Amino acid sequence: MAFPRRLLLLGAAALPVAARGQDKPADHAHEPPAATPAPTLTPTGAEAPRQRQAAPPDAYVYIGWPQDRQVIYGTRFKLWFGTRNFGVAPAGVSKANTGHHHLLIDVDLPDLNKPIPNDRNHLHFGLGQTETMLELPPGTHTLQLLMGDADHVPHDPPVMSKRITITVRPGKPQAVSARSAP
Amino acid sequence: MTRAQFLAGLGAGLGAGLGIAPLWPGPAAFAQRHPMPENAKVYIIWPADGQVVRGGFWVRMGLSEGGIAPAGVEKPMTGHHHLLIDVDLPDLNKPIPNDRNHLHFGLGQTEARLDLPPGKHTLQMLLGDENHVPHDPPLMSKRITVTVLPATGS
Repeated sequence: MAFPRRLLLLGAAALPVAARGQDKPADHAHEPPAATPAPTLTPTGAEAPRQRQAAPPDAYVYIGWPQDRQVIYGTRFKLWFGTRNFGVAPAGVSKANTGHHHLLIDVDLPDLNKPIPNDRNHLHFGLGQTETMLELPPGTHTLQLLMGDADHVPHDPPVMSKRITITVRPGKPQAVSARSAP
Repeated sequence: MTRAQFLAGLGAGLGAGLGIAPLWPGPAAFAQRHPMPENAKVYIIWPADGQVVRGGFWVRMGLSEGGIAPAGVEKPMTGHHHLLIDVDLPDLNKPIPNDRNHLHFGLGQTEARLDLPPGKHTLQMLLGDENHVPHDPPLMSKRITVTVLPATGS
């Protein structure tokens, strides 16, 4: 972090006051276990840069299906998440070597020091899901998986898949509903 | 979190860490089994039923309409995977045993590397809750058979 040390100390001094005001921080989180030294210097809420959880160097995620450059007929299809040497835990659960999936659609990697945005280009799977039904308009799309910790912040090093490109064509497996992307 | 839940979580966490089941199953032994979404389903993504593999292989475990949570984490509509190898379903009202025929994935893993002796083997997945007790109704995959051939030279 680029903050001068003095600023951090000031922040630390201000923390108890801030904490009293806000009571519990955002997430319906369980207490973080003592093993993970909680980043105490993030009193300003979820948007502040914070310490990222460590991930084993051999952890990786991948998109099990579809494959890179795949052409898909039908705008609704299932995508499953592959995860190796790493565990899945719902959002709000602090546990070493676990995280939950985020699917980036048609978008570059976000700032890895912040919680992953939550919008139609950044889908969150906070229940700990390992697959999803996607509905995308016809055309070319990019997909990439990025793990986030209890607070949706990527790990260090980030656990993410290759960014793949797929082409969606209108076709046989018809869209089940006209539901637009969230 | 009640004291009992805390202890159960602690036991499960220790058990997962050491690769053994908690000796004291906690309140689970008498607990009500948790529900899962009606349309939830677990299935073995790979290998396929009847597949022939050579040497060690990865099993990929799929879950539809539900979430994965590590052992010890109580959250509705979640569970963690167990892989039953060459064995029938255990008592569904008790924590799933933890031995070489019942592998636990209490960290929330969705893939497992298996090194089985050459021959025919059966594989079946069974989801368990935070205390390793199957849900109600139980979420289990079809029981598949794979044939393992000896690894080549290596």
